[in-house]
Amino acid sequence: MIDAFAPRYLYLVTFLLLGIGTYMMIGNRNLVKKVIGMNLFQTGIFLFFIAAAYVEGASPAVLTREAPHVSPLPHVLILTAIVVGVSLTAVALGLIVRIYADYGTLDADVLWEVRHDD
Amino acid sequence: MTDVSSLRPLATVLVSAVAIAPILASRGRPNLRESWTMLAALATFGLSASMVPGVLAGDTYVTDFGTFLPGVESGSVAFALQADALGLLFALLASALWVITSLYSIGYMRGLDEDSQTRYFAAFAGSVSAAVGVALADNLVVLFVFYELLTVATYPLVTHDQTDEARAAGRKYLAYTFGGGVAVLAGTLIVVWLTGTADFTAGGIAALAESDPAMARLAFTLLVTGFGVKAALMPMHSWLPDAMVAPTPVSGLLHAVAVVKSGVFGIARVVLDVFGPETVSDLGMGLPLAVVAAFTIVVASIIALRQDNLKRRLAFSTVSQLSYIVLGLALLEPRALAGGLLHIPAHAFMKLTLFFCAGAIHVETHTDDISEMAGIGKRMPGTMIAFGIASLGMAGIPLVAGFVSKWYLLIGSVQAGGVVFAGALLVSGVLNVAYFWPIVYQAFFESEDAVGSKPLIENPFGGRDAPVPDGGRNADDEPAGATDGVADPDEGEYAVDRNPSDHVVEHSASKRAESPDAAHADEDAESDRAVPDDADHNGPYEPEHYDHVADDEDAPEHHHAGPPAGGWERRALSSETTWFMLGPILTAATGAVVLGIVPDRVAFLRLVEIVVAGATGVTL
Amino acid sequence: MTDLVPIAVALPIVASVVALLAGLVRSRSGWYVALVGSVAQVALTAELARRVVADGAIRYVVGNFSVPYGIELVIDGLSATMIVLVAVTALGVLAYARRAGPRSNPFYGAYLLLVGGLTGMSITGDLFNLYVFLEITGLATYVLVGSEEGGRSAVAALRYLLVGTVGASLFLLGIGYAYVATGTLNMADLAAVIGEDVGYTATLIRASFAFVVVGLFVKVAVFPLHTWQPEAYASAPDSVSALISALVSTVSAYALIRVIYTVFTVDFLEANPLAADLLAAAAAVSVVAGSVLAVAQSEVKRMLAYSSVAQFGLVVAAASLANETAMIGAFVHLVGHAMMKGSLFLAAGVVATATGARTVDEYDGLGERLPVGAGALAVLALAMVGVPPTLGFVGKWYIALGAVETGSWALLAVIVSSTLLTLAYFARLIERIFFREYAAPAGETGVAPDDADVPGDADVVADGNGLPADGNGVSTDDGDAPLREDVSFGMYAVVVVAALLAVTLGAAVFEYAQFVQPTVTRLLS
Repeated sequence: MIDAFAPRYLYLVTFLLLGIGTYMMIGNRNLVKKVIGMNLFQTGIFLFFIAAAYVEGASPAVLTREAPHVSPLPHVLILTAIVVGVSLTAVALGLIVRIYADYGTLDADVLWEVRHDD
Repeated sequence: MTDVSSLRPLATVLVSAVAIAPILASRGRPNLRESWTMLAALATFGLSASMVPGVLAGDTYVTDFGTFLPGVESGSVAFALQADALGLLFALLASALWVITSLYSIGYMRGLDEDSQTRYFAAFAGSVSAAVGVALADNLVVLFVFYELLTVATYPLVTHDQTDEARAAGRKYLAYTFGGGVAVLAGTLIVVWLTGTADFTAGGIAALAESDPAMARLAFTLLVTGFGVKAALMPMHSWLPDAMVAPTPVSGLLHAVAVVKSGVFGIARVVLDVFGPETVSDLGMGLPLAVVAAFTIVVASIIALRQDNLKRRLAFSTVSQLSYIVLGLALLEPRALAGGLLHIPAHAFMKLTLFFCAGAIHVETHTDDISEMAGIGKRMPGTMIAFGIASLGMAGIPLVAGFVSKWYLLIGSVQAGGVVFAGALLVSGVLNVAYFWPIVYQAFFESEDAVGSKPLIENPFGGRDAPVPDGGRNADDEPAGATDGVADPDEGEYAVDRNPSDHVVEHSASKRAESPDAAHADEDAESDRAVPDDADHNGPYEPEHYDHVADDEDAPEHHHAGPPAGGWERRALSSETTWFMLGPILTAATGAVVLGIVPDRVAFLRLVEIVVAGATGVTL
Repeated sequence: MTDLVPIAVALPIVASVVALLAGLVRSRSGWYVALVGSVAQVALTAELARRVVADGAIRYVVGNFSVPYGIELVIDGLSATMIVLVAVTALGVLAYARRAGPRSNPFYGAYLLLVGGLTGMSITGDLFNLYVFLEITGLATYVLVGSEEGGRSAVAALRYLLVGTVGASLFLLGIGYAYVATGTLNMADLAAVIGEDVGYTATLIRASFAFVVVGLFVKVAVFPLHTWQPEAYASAPDSVSALISALVSTVSAYALIRVIYTVFTVDFLEANPLAADLLAAAAAVSVVAGSVLAVAQSEVKRMLAYSSVAQFGLVVAAASLANETAMIGAFVHLVGHAMMKGSLFLAAGVVATATGARTVDEYDGLGERLPVGAGALAVLALAMVGVPPTLGFVGKWYIALGAVETGSWALLAVIVSSTLLTLAYFARLIERIFFREYAAPAGETGVAPDDADVPGDADVVADGNGLPADGNGVSTDDGDAPLREDVSFGMYAVVVVAALLAVTLGAAVFEYAQFVQPTVTRLLS
């Protein structure tokens, strides 16, 4: 069992991160923590890509370094994905600011009650 | 049979649809608006009549717009209209009766000072357009298109009164008919899948005869069930009595002719031009359909016996009579087919007369219940004479239209070996007499204060716990015992029938608060009732006097049903109602008689002969 | 001259930046920038579609990299349909938004960014690029949903953002699996490698399929992954509800079909019958559950939103059949639904602007008060129900015929009875509009029967946002707008034209089917 998973421990970490992220998004009442959970979730997936690109004993994907290189494509992709993730976080935090301005709370449960009292 | 490419079928469909725009535009000017309706009606009738000589000579007029939907593989479904004998039969009928009904509508709607008359006339024009479209459809898909549009166009008419009852009836109407539409759609899809086409072919689509019998049976069942909803085959009939909440011209033209017969017409197309009599016979689907039809004929007649509301009684009579047509189609015998198809116009003329009479009585005296119509022959002699003639026809008495078609049906059913079905037809004839004759009899030979009892309406099923006919004042305990005996809550007319003026009382309860005068009038109205009121306002069944509730709200003065204090006044034929109403009544009645005396002089019988010859190869 | 292809994506994005910058010079110039951008986009996409009709599919490789490595843009019959739909719908909504707002320049920036993102999703031939455009679309949508005044839309937008991001991330994870298995991201290349080297039953490919489909289900809002959607549609400004209901789920559904059939191909579904069955089951459940939930709604926009859940169920059902007729039906229904649902939201917006009515109950007697708006709404609703010969019926016919051809009887039953399910919630609305009397709310006096300028005060309280802080109802970002704005000619025109198109376009579908037939055949081969 351990032999089967030891070389793939990065995948385990990936799914651990996905799990923690999902739990934070569902279980946390604080909206900011939900956004942090979302970031963790995405990070798990980024790690998955980078791990997939890894080649034992290879150097980073920079042309001046000696071959063999690790696969460069996932690195490029994840660079893009990180940018997307940052933008998402920015929008999410912007929305949270507005929610706080309107309702004076960041607690999802309280928010739910306030909204249903309207 | 030669196909003639012509724009006339298209024009026939479109004229009344196009008329909707000017009708809506001239909403402020009733005379102009009704002129548009009349113009459209006459144009539609003129166009369909203009195609009769050609069709009788064996031509078919076709308007083809090219492909509308894909069929299977290379096949496709065209959007095309055609005026063949069967289609023209229905189109001619609907458009001819629309002319009469338009005149009548004017008298009826203005006589009652109804609301939303513009919407009414616009929806009416749309309904006729859709009905003519059903008639002239060239294939099953186009037929389905207009069949659904007919549902949509009729819905505003059913809900016209905007009362809770009317809305409930409208919802029921939509649920039933769109449910039927779903079945038709599924059946059509299977037919298209089996044959690659949906074009009507006299004698049936050849490919269908060779296809998988189980699938063909499924398609047949779906199609007949779907069309059977509008044809009010039992047990899918219950929307029709409820839809009687609509204004009477709607009940007359649409719920006795155009809408319900579009269902029957659909079945006719399925039997004659999609499957063909032979294939239906091979599939063994004729007999079950005939059994359902015969069942509907008898049971609906029996239920009609117990309806006190005149329009509901007529509605159940319609349910029964429509199944004559279906029975004629299901027996797959040339003469039965002819009888069934001929019953389409015959029943239309007679039932239209009957509904027009009911509407005239409603407008003039605000009476809807048969139990309050004793002696009304004095007040409305011409109307009741027309009513009497049409009732005779419904029962199948010679010299009126119903006789000819029933004669063919009887011969056909005997030839088909279905003695049971002939029996059902005869029993239904007797029942027709039983539920129509008392109305005529009491109108002329009884007076409002000396009315015989009506045990069938007043007593519970089985005759137990019969209430005292004169009612008495101990009404509080009586209905409770009586309602226990009601076996069929769906036909929930029971408490109402026994307490015919419940609606007056219930309604006046609200008026009482605002107007002491009205309250006083109500009490007067109640006190001079021949059949006594009772206090069963909390009875389990709501009263169904839709028209009353509606026009009571609209009219400034408070009407009450039944004879006025002092009995019906005696009026001459010319002054009993307006000519807008009497004219159409007499025209429709005359039509029924003409169809009965010289059927072969009227185009309908010859069209029927062509249809039967085309479908079975037998010349009558 | 295939250089036009990347411009179709670049143009709206550049226009988006221009709108933002123009806002620095003159506020409220956004609408004009958006108008110019949208008109140019319509012209551009129309020209591209014309070329596809004339010469067949167009392929363009960005930056002259050789194909498996560079990003490829492909316009075939189906993607041409999508980009034209996106451009035309955006222009139509713009005509509505001029008076109805929101009017700020950042709004129009996000608006154009959304158009760019959706166009990119439609024409990209690269799986990872699809993810990027999916996220661009998502970002723009979150911003647009949140652009309504008040907290309700912000909460809805945040919820949409969280759920949507999870969906997109799952999609990305699916891409990761596919990449690990094949080492390529170009769709055509992926299909070839999966077919030849990896095999359709490989675990990695199956997992990839599962993640990609679930991720896109979230974006399409298939039950039970629809939870973000009703509140987002209901709380967004009317113009935004119309735009996103018409386009975002539609293009996501297109992406779903594209990924299933171009990347995984029909052979995958044949090798894994369970996958096809699960797709069909999800679709059927979505149709039924969406309709039932729609009936239960009291707010009109929420009802329309749930209706979308049901309608996309139909599209996914069609997609699961892997049949040419059904696939054409899926696209007819995608286009038809986009037009009808978008216009229904606009019609609801017209009603709300003119009378303040936002709940089903408040629609009583609307036919008297607002005949044109109510009439258009009714026609669109009937088209949505699928009354023939409207566009809604024609799409359903194709899908149902496809179900018959493949012998999927259970699915056929769901598809044809969806008519009744749809009727259940729209009949309720129509009955109230035309067959009930309008009862004036307390405090409101003398309502002119067919006039738009109903006094505002009483209605604003009933306004859907229902927040004290949001007293101005339809006020703009600038906050200096009058209490109740009149319904502009443009707002009416868009709704009425859409209603007419919904009825008449059914006749043109057969032509359209001829046009996409070759593309669909290739897609399913």
